[in-house]
Parts: sequence; structure tokens; C-alpha cells
Amino acid sequence: MNDRAAPMKLKRTNGLIWILPAFLFLVIIIYYSMFFTFNLSTMEWDGLSPDQTRVGLANFAKLFRDKVFWKCLQNTVVYFIITFVIQNSLGFIFAAILHTDVKLATLHKCLIFIPTILAPATMAPVFRLLYSPQGILQSFFNWAHIPITVDWLSRPNTALYVLMSVAIWEFTGMSFILYYAAMSQIDMEMLEAARIDGAGNLRTLWSMVLPNCRGTTVSMAMLGVIGALKTFDIPYLITTGGPMHATEFLGTYIYRQGIRQSHLGYAAAISVMLLVLAVAGAYLTNRANKGGGKHA
Amino acid sequence: MKKTLAILLACLLLAAMLPAAMAEEAELIWYGWTPGSPVNESFIEAFNQTYPDIHVTWKQISIDDYDATIKPALANQGGVDLFQCSAGSANGGIEIFASQAIDLTPALIEALGEDYADKISETSLTTMTVNGELKALGVGTVYAGNLWINKDLFDKYEVAIPTDMESWKAAVKTFEDNGIIGFVQGAGQGAFNMDTFHAICDNVNPGQFTKACRGEVEWTDETFVTGLNLWKSLFDEGIMQPGALGIQQYPEANNLFLSQQAAMVMMGSWYTMNTLPDTMRANMEAASSTDDPFTMIPINFPDLAGTGNVGYMFSDIDYATAVAAAGENIDAATKFAVWLGASEEGQQLIADSLNVVPVLKTATPNWDAVQLVNPDAQNEAVKDYLANAMANADNPRFGEISADLNQAMMDVLAGVASGMMSAEEGCEYLAEVQAEQ
Repeated sequence: MNDRAAPMKLKRTNGLIWILPAFLFLVIIIYYSMFFTFNLSTMEWDGLSPDQTRVGLANFAKLFRDKVFWKCLQNTVVYFIITFVIQNSLGFIFAAILHTDVKLATLHKCLIFIPTILAPATMAPVFRLLYSPQGILQSFFNWAHIPITVDWLSRPNTALYVLMSVAIWEFTGMSFILYYAAMSQIDMEMLEAARIDGAGNLRTLWSMVLPNCRGTTVSMAMLGVIGALKTFDIPYLITTGGPMHATEFLGTYIYRQGIRQSHLGYAAAISVMLLVLAVAGAYLTNRANKGGGKHA
Repeated sequence: MKKTLAILLACLLLAAMLPAAMAEEAELIWYGWTPGSPVNESFIEAFNQTYPDIHVTWKQISIDDYDATIKPALANQGGVDLFQCSAGSANGGIEIFASQAIDLTPALIEALGEDYADKISETSLTTMTVNGELKALGVGTVYAGNLWINKDLFDKYEVAIPTDMESWKAAVKTFEDNGIIGFVQGAGQGAFNMDTFHAICDNVNPGQFTKACRGEVEWTDETFVTGLNLWKSLFDEGIMQPGALGIQQYPEANNLFLSQQAAMVMMGSWYTMNTLPDTMRANMEAASSTDDPFTMIPINFPDLAGTGNVGYMFSDIDYATAVAAAGENIDAATKFAVWLGASEEGQQLIADSLNVVPVLKTATPNWDAVQLVNPDAQNEAVKDYLANAMANADNPRFGEISADLNQAMMDVLAGVASGMMSAEEGCEYLAEVQAEQ
């Protein structure tokens, strides 16, 4: 018995050595950074001065009284719900269409997916120009004699929706590619059986294809929650969080507090909250997946 | 024997001189945001005529990204020898960066003598002194509170220069009837809104804005309620172009003015450099315009409140040069900072670039050598403008506004302009933020 156990023990030791670089990387880079951020969140510090004042949990108390923080959360929730629903609906529909005999299917797939691989930093100026009152869209409306003024980025009640349109344009390709892959895994005999039973195209999609793509939908929800919480580039590059925090997200607010206003401790406290919310969001979506896992 | 001795002596002499010669050789990295390439490189070139062994590399960062870039660079204690600073809460604010810079008082005494304070602008010393130490040497002062207009467009459409609300509205309407934006402001970039609001407040009641920043007057004072209502009226009366809150002053508003799609813009003395043909041509090309340079002149901010208080301007040190305490070549870096901020040669270059007003009192633009786009129309206008600007004292631009008050003011101006907040609510919010400091 002992003779057989020895090689097993050796194997385990070898395995630990193999994972050691990744383990050290995780501990040193990620967990140390998390600890450092939490430590920072208990300080009042501008990031450069030798004077660091320990303030305990005061930054967290301030956070709950901060109207802009709550505005960020509200924007995140609205942004997640709307972009998730539209982007996944479009992705699902495009995937279903491209599983039929569409001409130039490869070209269509490329066209749908290309926005996903374009860097937001390169696309932001394009969208600023598109939605500018002196921009392309306004020129089109003027040309078509449509009495619409494209000043949506300047209005607090419309600016967030403009950003959502950019996000939907950019990430629909990701939803599409994942749904397309998920649909490829569905047993064709099951779909044929549904058709024999008299189900039409829409009925088959709704009752057979969509439930079989549940795992993809849940994964997209999890990525969507985390993505919405981490949103930074699109609002920062297009509206810088304005006007009057109408498009402020946790990411842009952390940057504003940490860099612009030099409240590094407070920015760290918001970062800690972001981490807590991201973990909670991932846990809840994962749990939802397990709860109805028969189609996953 | 004599020959051997002579060679030996020569070698010894050479060896003794070598460390000194090597000590002169230095590579410096200079971080900043203004006035930018190729002007900064031309300063370096001129500096190298006096100090050929000190090689300076200019690293330009956009103003919005400056703090985010320079903070980690300084925190890493290496790679930065010189960096630009500004007053108060603006980007590169000296209050934040002072801990990373050396005290330049001894260097300034060496360059200008014990009476150095009499030779350079007072603002450059007061705003850059932190805890009794001069942490950066001012290079030039920047003034704001005026408009710049495209005189060629005004002449072409026979538009009268605006002096009050009604004439401003009329001017804007005439331009818009001709397919040109009358007045452009990138109100999505809050710092420039603060300039406009400051100008309005100085028009309502001169000096109250500065007093409020210092906590000597409450932000709920009637001056600011009136000021915010006038600010709102710029949007309601159609003076601000549609969608102003959605665009930035740089690049959008700047590009619209320089490409002659807009006739008026709220910019300060830094815009004077565009009266130089070469600078304007380069900036017009950057704004996607291939037209010839046009005639632009500064005008007073219109008398919106009807008080007759016009021509008030506010100022800050636009930028100062700090020497990084952790730099490897502090002596060489100090030489450059002093040359740029306190030498006749360096300051004359600053004066002639018309970007900022030099801090050294003896340096003034050499108008005989400076050739403007349209000397007949611009020479006197620009001279009067700079003279008026320099006569306005004790009216800081951002120098006395804390980072928190800065953010609050930007929020209030956007909130009032968009109708999400009344002028009274805005004033109360500013008072709250001021009280918390």
C-alpha cells in the first residue's frame, strides 16, 4: 500500500511545482494589489505626498452618502439591463439567421464581429463626430429636411442612451459568435422533431433553440454584469462622465476621484465596492445558472 | 626625459579635467503639456546654444492625461528630471506635486540675486511656493476673461462687435443666418465654463469671485445667483451653440474656430500665439483647415449684466518648471529650469512666442521682430490686450480653487445649463462644498 502511495505523492509534488509560477503571479500581482487597495481605502492620501492619514472606514461611510456614487450604480444597472437585452437579442437573431442558407454568410459574420475587435479608443472620436451637432448624423438630418437636432450627448437624459448605442454596436458581435457556437451544438434531430410536431420557425426558436442556449445566455449575463461594473473607456472617451455625472460609471468615478481630485483613498474605497459588487454579481448569475441548469 | 614628463603632465591634466567635462554631460527628460511641439523643441535648441552638453528630451502629454501619467512616473522615483506644474487645482497642480520637487529658491538667488522678487512677477512666486519653498519656476502667466473673434468674418458679414447681451445675440444670429456658428464653446470641458462664469461674475460684481474662492464671501451671495442665471441665459438665448454641453473645448470648439466654422470663442491669452502666421497655419492644419491664416483679435467679454464692468481679466501662472527631487541630474535640470524661467534669453523666447506673458519683468515681446498675420488690424489690439491683462492684478484663475470646489463648480455649471439645477441650488451646493474644506 505504502509502495503504491509514494509515486502518487511525488506526482502531486511535481504538480505543485508546475502551478507555482501562476500561483505566485496570482498572489503577488492580484491578491497583493487587492490587499494594497483595501489598505489604501482606509487612508486619506493624494498619491504622492509623504503624509498619509489613516481614516479607518470613513471613506466607506462617505461613499454611502455620496449622491454621485449612487448615480454611478443607477447608471450601471440601467446600462446593463438595456445593453444586455438588446445586444443578446440581436446576437441571437443574427446567429439564428446565419444558421440558415444565407448568401455571403462569411462576409456577414465578419461584418457583425468586426466592431468587437476594434479598440474603443479608436472608435470614440468617430462616435463623437457622429453624434456631434456639427456631425455626420446632423448633416444627414439636414439633408433629409428632418427637423432633429443631434444634441443628445449634451442632454443628461439622453447621453447615457447614446453610450449604450455604442456599446451595443461594439459587443453584439460577441453575443452573436457565442450564440452561433451554442446553436451549432444543438441536436438537429430535436429541431426536426419539433417541426414534425408542427412548430414554426419562431416557435422553434423560442421553445427549442433559446432554452438550449441557456448556458450562453447566463455566461453573457455574468460577463455583462462584470463589464457594466468595469465600464470606463466608452463613457470616458465620449462624454468624460458628463454632463453633470449623467454618464458617470464606477470606473470613471474612481478615475475622477483618484487622479483628478487626488482622493486616492476614497477612489480605493470605491474600487473595493466595485470588487464586492462584481463578485456578488458573478455569484448570483452563476447561481441562477445552476438553479435552472437542465438546459445548460 | 623632458618629453616624457610633459606627456605625463598633460595626461594628468587631462585626467583632472575629464570628470568636470563629463559632469557637464547630462540627459534630461522634461514632461509637460504646453505649449507643445515644436515650440518646446525650439526652446531646447536655444538652451543648447548656451549649454550644449545638456540634452533635454521633451515628452508631451495631453492636458487631460497629464496627472494620470506624471503621478506614477514621479512615484516610481525615476525617469523624470523636469516636469511642468500649474497653479492650484488645475492639471499638474503644484499643491499635489510639490512633494516631488526640489526648492529652487537658492538657484533663483544665484541667477537674479537676493532681490529676485523684484525682478519676476509676484504671482509666479506666491502660487509656486509651498510651505515656504519655491517648488517650481514660473515660465509665463496666462490670462483669461475675454473672447477671440474672427475679424475677417465680422468684416465680411458686416457684424458689429458684441458689447452686451443684445448685440451678442444679434451677432450670433447674423452668423447663423449665413451658416456659421456665431459663438462656440466646448461646455463639456468644465474648466472653460469656469472661465466664462468667472468673467460673468466679474461683470456683475468685480472681485467677488476671487473673494468667494478665498472664503471671504459666501457662494450664496446675490452676485453668483445673478451670474448663474446669466450663464443659463447664454444657452436659453441661443448664444451658446446647440449641443454645447456635449462637446469639448479642445479639440472640437478650438477646431471649429480655427477652421472658420465659428466666429467667436472663449479663449485666453494663450490664443495670442495664433496671431503669428506660422503658428496659426500649423494649428489650422491640425484643425483640418488648409485655408490661409485669418485675422483674429481679442475683445472684452460683453457686458451681460449691464453694469459697465468690462475688461476684467484673471490670471495664473500657465506653467512652471519643477525639478524632480528623484532625478539623476538635478544640477543640469536646475540649469534648464532657471534658463527658461529667469534668464533674459529664455524669457525673451517665451515673450516672442506670444503663448504666455513672461514672468521676468524685463522681457516683453519684441514687436519689431514679431510679425502678425494682419499687423494693421492686430498689432494695437494685441498690445492693448496684453497691457490690459497685465494691469489686472490679484484675480487668480484657478490658483485659489481647490480640486473639490473645481469639480463642484463644473457640476453646477453643467447642471444649471442643462436645467437640472436652479441658480439658487447651484449656489447652495457651492457653499456646502466650500464649507466642508
